[in-house]
Amino acid sequence: MGARAGRAVAAVWLGVVVTLIYLPMLSVLLASLANTRYMRFPHRVWTLDAYREALFGVGQADTLRLHQTSLAIALAVVVLAVAIAVFGALAFARARWRGRGLFRTLVMLPIFFPQPVLGLALLLALTAAGITPDWRTAVFAHLVWIAPIVTLVISIRLYGYDAAQEEAAFDLGATRLQVFREVTLPALAPGIVSGALFGFLLSWSNLPLSVFTTGADTTLPEWLFSRTATNYSPLVPAVAVIATAASAVIVAAVAVIWRLAGPRRG
Amino acid sequence: MTAGQDGRAFLVLDGLTRRFSGRPAVDGVSLSIPEGEFFTIVGPSGSGKSTLIRMLAGLERPDAGRILLRGADITAMPANRRPTCMVFQSLALFSHRSVGENIAFALKMRGVDAATRRARALELMELVRLPADYLDRPVTQCSGGERQRVALARALASDPEILFFDEPLSAIDYRLRKILEMEMKDLHARTGKTFLYITHSLEEAMVMSDRIAIMRAGRIVQIGPPREIYARPNSRFVAEFMGEVNVFAVRGGRIEGLDRPAAAQSGFLILRPEALRPLGPADHADVSFPARIETGYLLGSRSQLHLSALGRRLVAELPGAAAAELRPGQEGRWGFDLADAVVTPE
Ligand SMILES: Nc1ncnc2c1ncn2[C@@H]1O[C@H](COP(=O)(O)OP(=O)(O)O)[C@@H](O)[C@H]1O
Ligand SMILES: [Mg+2]
Repeated sequence: MGARAGRAVAAVWLGVVVTLIYLPMLSVLLASLANTRYMRFPHRVWTLDAYREALFGVGQADTLRLHQTSLAIALAVVVLAVAIAVFGALAFARARWRGRGLFRTLVMLPIFFPQPVLGLALLLALTAAGITPDWRTAVFAHLVWIAPIVTLVISIRLYGYDAAQEEAAFDLGATRLQVFREVTLPALAPGIVSGALFGFLLSWSNLPLSVFTTGADTTLPEWLFSRTATNYSPLVPAVAVIATAASAVIVAAVAVIWRLAGPRRG
Repeated sequence: MTAGQDGRAFLVLDGLTRRFSGRPAVDGVSLSIPEGEFFTIVGPSGSGKSTLIRMLAGLERPDAGRILLRGADITAMPANRRPTCMVFQSLALFSHRSVGENIAFALKMRGVDAATRRARALELMELVRLPADYLDRPVTQCSGGERQRVALARALASDPEILFFDEPLSAIDYRLRKILEMEMKDLHARTGKTFLYITHSLEEAMVMSDRIAIMRAGRIVQIGPPREIYARPNSRFVAEFMGEVNVFAVRGGRIEGLDRPAAAQSGFLILRPEALRPLGPADHADVSFPARIETGYLLGSRSQLHLSALGRRLVAELPGAAAAELRPGQEGRWGFDLADAVVTPE
């Protein structure tokens, strides 16, 4: 009896949580199918006008440019963050050296900074250095926050990794470069893929850092925010849905390629 | 230390020393190992065995001393250029590779083509008794014993002049370990290579080795064939390392507690449990005394007894049959012959 009641409570709780998480997302989809700037459900008219406008109409240039900017930033962030993270993770998860704890703390600290504060700080620093912010400075800002997270994701992978494998390879005649290519990198690959996906999504959806550091360039989240605040129309949720679909396609493509890449796993 | 039995200097260690933050982990070790020997270094955990073998493999730099192979100084040669190979304590198999890819790794690094690598991997698998259909199996799906064989085959693939082993059997259960010990000895005989083996188990060393060195706190304290180490330990440390023994202090030329003259001025009299025996009314022994049996354990074919005698505790070991009528609480005369005891200087 008690167990059954407990299960019922758990089911209700789960239902509430799922509804709270997914209903707002659903409402974005519903809003994008309206022809009015006033939110009222159910709509009197259901229409794809907003999508037509975003993809083929007056909004096309906006949609394309926003995606290009966000994509350029996200891709640059992923490539740089992974490169930094691989060596960062190796440095603090594997080798024992003096100052390792301090290094770890310094690398991880930006994660705990409120992002708007970090963004403001970076903007002030850029201004002081006489650098005009644009999408490239946003790449730098994103990196400050995302590279530590990717480092963390990859080093979790390294904790279950027997570093003696590298010594064994070296002992079996491999050069330092061969050891890295044949042993370290394949062992890290799953961590690199998940770290890269994670980094991509974090950059793709970032608002607080971008607001301060993109200058004249505009990313998708920035545009969604400013257009919702001042000049709302169903074009806004339509672009939001398109952006979500675009990132979902990219993530799914990477996942599929990773699956097909070979039987190597573990 | 002196050179090996026949004096051929194949592998020579000359005053090898390695310090970690000032404290020596290996402290001036000199050894000479002839070609083809199965040489084992035994010592408790932390005695510096791994550090020593890692210096020989080229994975650790000595702070002082030299390593000579066939007379050539290889002290500064990195591991990937040394004609030696090591089997690690963790085995360190490449977890994302198959059995065959693990075994043929050294050949791949030398640029040997795939077909030749495969053929050689199969040969080596036969040598270490791995079924041929394991070739493409991921190593993560192999059992402990199979992984052991993969590690052995992988080390042999580079055709090293010396194989190093750093406690490879320590994580394996007793029964399988006994089998693998015999296989290791057999493999040594068939390949004719020099094996330098490390273990903390003297029992394991006794089974496999031509010669044994006992290591303690970074130094070699005794070196010799297994039988000699067993029969004539040169210190209380070596004697106790081999199992439970009865130790009597020797001071001023007398054995304390027995009140008899000893063969040395000071040191210890070491008495193995099997040297103690119960005495019947007609039996004679060099040393005899009344004793009371406190506890008894059956160890398979033998029995171990704890005795109260001479105001202390003694350990005795008897064949199962001889111990059949002995019960805890029984009192009687026990004794031993001095020829069965060893006096060590320290
Ligand atoms: N990389 C290292 N850094 C600092 N101390 C070490 C290192 N390797 C070994 N030691 C120390 O050296 C001593 C010997 O260690 P080791 O050679 O691993 O002994 P064994 O293999 O006999 O257990 C130990 O006290 C150990 O703590
Ligand atoms: Mg060790």
